[in-house]
Amino acid sequence: MSNGQRVGDLLRECAPQVLGALVRRHGQFDACEDAVQEALLAAAVQWPVDGIPDRPRAWLLTVAGRSLVDGWRSERARRSRERATALDPAGHAPAADHPGAGDRDADDTLVLLFLCCHPALSPLSQLALTLRAVGGLTTSEIAAAFLVPEATIAKRISRAKQQIRNAGARFEMPPRVQRAERLGVVLHVLYLVFNEGYTTSSGPVLHRADLTAEAIRLTRVLHRLLPGEGETAGLLALMLLTDARRAARTDADGSIVPLAEQRRDRWDTAAIAEGQALLTATLGTVPVGPYQLQAAIAALHDEAPTADATDWPQILALYEVLAEVAPGPVVTLSRAVAVAMVHGPTAGLAVLGTLDGDDRMAHTHRLEAVRAHLLERAGDPVAARESYLRAAAATASLPEQRYLTVRAARLHQLPPPA
Amino acid sequence: MKYMIMMFGGLGATLQNRTPEWITGMHELMMKLDTELKESGEVVASHGLVDPSQAKTVRFTGGVPVPTDGPFAEVKESLAGYWIVEVSEERALEIASQVVAYTEYPMEVRRVMHGDDAPQQ
Repeated sequence: MSNGQRVGDLLRECAPQVLGALVRRHGQFDACEDAVQEALLAAAVQWPVDGIPDRPRAWLLTVAGRSLVDGWRSERARRSRERATALDPAGHAPAADHPGAGDRDADDTLVLLFLCCHPALSPLSQLALTLRAVGGLTTSEIAAAFLVPEATIAKRISRAKQQIRNAGARFEMPPRVQRAERLGVVLHVLYLVFNEGYTTSSGPVLHRADLTAEAIRLTRVLHRLLPGEGETAGLLALMLLTDARRAARTDADGSIVPLAEQRRDRWDTAAIAEGQALLTATLGTVPVGPYQLQAAIAALHDEAPTADATDWPQILALYEVLAEVAPGPVVTLSRAVAVAMVHGPTAGLAVLGTLDGDDRMAHTHRLEAVRAHLLERAGDPVAARESYLRAAAATASLPEQRYLTVRAARLHQLPPPA
Repeated sequence: MKYMIMMFGGLGATLQNRTPEWITGMHELMMKLDTELKESGEVVASHGLVDPSQAKTVRFTGGVPVPTDGPFAEVKESLAGYWIVEVSEERALEIASQVVAYTEYPMEVRRVMHGDDAPQQ
């Protein structure tokens, strides 16, 4: 591991702990979050050159504390007491290394996750704030991952913190009655981070491994903190079982390889084994939820030695349960594929037909892409080609657009059916 | 100097009568060139655009701006994507020529103005 990578890993691990300690001391989540970001940036520059300090967290806490005070000073307000405290690193720095600090760090990370995924924020703001405050990513890293200007992310984060303040949220765990619902939001945000990395919504590269890795890392942390939560385990398993296929999803020149045509020897067997073990330990012990079901479906794909050996009847059965637990157009779309594999393309197309006119599918190319595949299998190349072209026109992903355009062109060459 | 190299065509309807091999060849050429320009540091920005059939046009109609579907122009005349490169005009024309030699679609090369709009890097 390179020195820079080691520093990066350490900073990401420390970030939520330092922020938690700072917020508990001073309140003011928004100012503290800025201060920690300053400290992370300083460390990213200094540590690779000067070496990692003996007590990295204490170092970060001191620098963040100073930055916080500088902020107060420039505001020319709230000076005396806080500054005296924050300027004295001995007063608080060792605290993080005391016995029992581990538990508190863990609690802080959890509280931060809940705070950054506050329901008052839009999903995009939740994503950006979570990646920075809990993930320890810099604004420019987040901007690069989402392919937007740094100023956009910076504004989104500062607006998010203002919304948290306006909502009156405090640095504490949500009340017990709200916790399940709030955990659902946290899981959804982590799921979105993963998906953004795995299937980028726009841009030239199909997957951005850094975002998927970060989503997996944060979900792993959450699972360690809440081992009894079945859906947290389910989400982690889903991510591992899906990400295991990453290397096989694109060929040498970056083009998409569909699941059925992937080289299965390029799948990550360690990730598959870890995902399976998580599922085995979880399924049946807790109420089943959508992430566990999706993970179970991903596991069935991963376990098949060849595409033809896929247990489609079992996958269809799981989709039927999923459609009851968490109905939605995306589930219907996937269920249509499973129906087609079990009962033939015409039956699958009939399921797809129920989505026509569904506004929720208006902005995605996926309905047409699936329809095109099923029409092709049903032996209707003319209609299939039109569907491929409609899907290609609707997608904002360059690799998907290329894949769909080529599929359409392939059908154009076929002689017309006799 | 900065130049914007604009590609017209190469999306959706313009590809309808091309073979899969031709389309794959075009994709490979574009990706290779894009990688080269990034590695040489000549490219400042590059973006592809979604199919023009997805576009909306806002027109001043009856005294108010009215958004409508589509640009209603020939798809072949629609912008498909662009590079902004920091090179000599000669080099910008050479880059465009590499693409045109394969695609036979026109490309427009225009110098980017500078002023107080954005900080120069």
